[in-house]
Amino acid sequence: MSYSITTVTIQYEHDVVLARQRARQIAALLGFDNQDQTRLATAVSELARNAFAYAGAGKVEFQIEGRAAPQLFLVRISDDGPGIANLKEILDGRYHSQTGMGLGIIGARRLVDRCDIHSTSGQGTTILLKKILPRQAAPVTNLSLRSIVERLAQQQPQGPLQEIQQQNQELVRALAELRERQDELAHVNRELEDTNCGVMALYAELDEKASHLRRADEMKSRFLSNMSHEFRTPVNSILALSALLLERADGELTGEQEKQVGFIRKGGEALAELVNDLLDLAKIEAGKVEIRSVEFEASNLFSALRGMLRPLLISQTVRLVFDKPTGIPLLYADEGKLSQILRNFISNALKFTERGVIRVTATLNEADQMVTFAVSDSGPGIAPEDQSRIFEEFVQLDNPAHRNIKGTGLGLPLCRQLASLLDGTIGLVSAVGVGSTFSVTVPIYYTRRPPAVSANHQDLSEPDEDLTGAGRYLSEQRPNKDEAIKRTRVLIIDDEPAARYVITRLLKDQPCQFDEVDNGADGMRLMRETQPNLVILDLNMPDLSGYQVLDRIKANPATRDIPVVVVTSAVITDQERLQLEGQTCAIMNKSDLSPECIGRLLGTVLHANAESQ
Amino acid sequence: MERIPILKMGRVLLVTIQVDMHDRLAMTLQDDLTERIVQDRAHGVLIDISSLEIVDSFMGRMIANIAGMARVLDAETVVVGMRPAVAITLVELGMTLSGVKTALNMDTAMAMLMASFADKEHFNGGSQG
Repeated sequence: MSYSITTVTIQYEHDVVLARQRARQIAALLGFDNQDQTRLATAVSELARNAFAYAGAGKVEFQIEGRAAPQLFLVRISDDGPGIANLKEILDGRYHSQTGMGLGIIGARRLVDRCDIHSTSGQGTTILLKKILPRQAAPVTNLSLRSIVERLAQQQPQGPLQEIQQQNQELVRALAELRERQDELAHVNRELEDTNCGVMALYAELDEKASHLRRADEMKSRFLSNMSHEFRTPVNSILALSALLLERADGELTGEQEKQVGFIRKGGEALAELVNDLLDLAKIEAGKVEIRSVEFEASNLFSALRGMLRPLLISQTVRLVFDKPTGIPLLYADEGKLSQILRNFISNALKFTERGVIRVTATLNEADQMVTFAVSDSGPGIAPEDQSRIFEEFVQLDNPAHRNIKGTGLGLPLCRQLASLLDGTIGLVSAVGVGSTFSVTVPIYYTRRPPAVSANHQDLSEPDEDLTGAGRYLSEQRPNKDEAIKRTRVLIIDDEPAARYVITRLLKDQPCQFDEVDNGADGMRLMRETQPNLVILDLNMPDLSGYQVLDRIKANPATRDIPVVVVTSAVITDQERLQLEGQTCAIMNKSDLSPECIGRLLGTVLHANAESQ
Repeated sequence: MERIPILKMGRVLLVTIQVDMHDRLAMTLQDDLTERIVQDRAHGVLIDISSLEIVDSFMGRMIANIAGMARVLDAETVVVGMRPAVAITLVELGMTLSGVKTALNMDTAMAMLMASFADKEHFNGGSQG
């Protein structure tokens, strides 16, 4: 049976000192005399040093063996080191260590009554030191042992070093925790980085998608623009030919034939309208539309609209009312575009209103310096869920009130685009069964782009203006008519057979001789050979375009003086118009060709020509 | 870093060990002392171990080393105030501290050193004369 007193762990060098101090204190408490205290402490010191030096760590246990006298003071010093390889050599005194002169174990053995050494290679060493308690000392009991332990605790040597050690250990622990936290942070950081990479990738993908969409949108606009041009040519042919038929240019029509041709013409007109709307939309989206601001009065705009729209008012149950605009200052904006928007609103209102009043008003918002033009009707109204849809392209509402009315589905989108071009906005207030109010709000003074277009270059949408060149000649010249016309030779250069046919038919009453070619190169050749009095030239042709042909005509002295009239179905920009006007005597749109205007043109040009010769 | 203080008294360095030294501290003292002997041109070293209750083999060897090194550096070492229990234990351990002079108290130690210095000077003077 044994009592355990205390244990000292050997972990640091200073623990060796602690162990020997403990040994000395315990020995004193157990009643050993001064000499034996020193002996025991020295022996413990030697062996604890060995444990620290050779095994790096160990422990020293202090115990009492036996319940009755003679009791033994027992110190067990153990470690998990490599064991003592040359124990016998050491015990024989033949070993010399570098630190303790080989005295550690032998010396310690001499200082105690009994010393047992258990050492296995690789499994550590345990040394038991035993010393019989002094005879005069009282035997150790549970009770006395407790008081010894208590007094030991009081003597706990708490030097600054221990405290530093303790703090050091705490620091090491804190450091380990910190490192753990840091690792965690690094981990989180890595995860974040991964996420970030993912987000970046997604972003790039989105970007790509967006540019795809943009490209697709551009493609759509370009497609619309190109297709509209392509559509124009045949539609113009249909319109011109049906007009020829209706004018009895080729003899009388029967009643049925007239009706049929009338239907063809109506279909053609509807198609032309659709194509024009598409073209406008495509032009706006391609950013090709020019704003031509002028100063005008709202009341003038209203009277022009009234004149234009009165013919559409066929129903007796609907009234179109223009409220007299009061207090509206002089506006500076693109009157044509504004008029186009309001025309669209009003014609929509006329389409959908069966009875009641369509009211057109203008109100001034002084704070914003804006003017709002509104068109209110008493039609069926538009459900809230449809109100934003109707501004999308090609959307037509599918409800009974709208079913029997046809449109292109492009009017309102076009209005919206036009309004935003004018720095304005479109508004809609509508209730089902009550009516709708469409409004456009524009600034009083349009400032985005100053008007850079001179007055005599007018919008193509105004048909009468296409003959500006011819008109000029007309007003200036009064020549001898017949002589010139007698020897008239007209060369038509157009790749479209229908267009050539229409022109020759239109001019069939004129005493002309026609030459037709379907490309620019042949046209040039024929021009040199026959010296025609007039060249009618198309612009959009394969191989040589009309512009190239014009350049060549003007570059060649033999053909330079031949008058050229450009007839095209393309929409001509102001720049193109400027370029063409220097080289031609007239520019005509194919959709506006009529026997009168072309005849007038021919006469003018040829007379001018005759005079100059 | 903790250190055992070394005091200079004339040509003598005085070291009083008042704490139970751990091994590294003992080694540090050994290094400090040899350095100071050279630096201060000391001819004597007094080591007071009267406070020490334990001197084990390591410390004993350290004291012997100091004495040996000091001798090589032309300085005499005297260990002062060893307790009887310590002395007995050292002998039982098998340490003889050969070559280390000891004295029971400071007075004796100083007298020993002074006598030694006088001898040396006499020897030096004689050789010159």
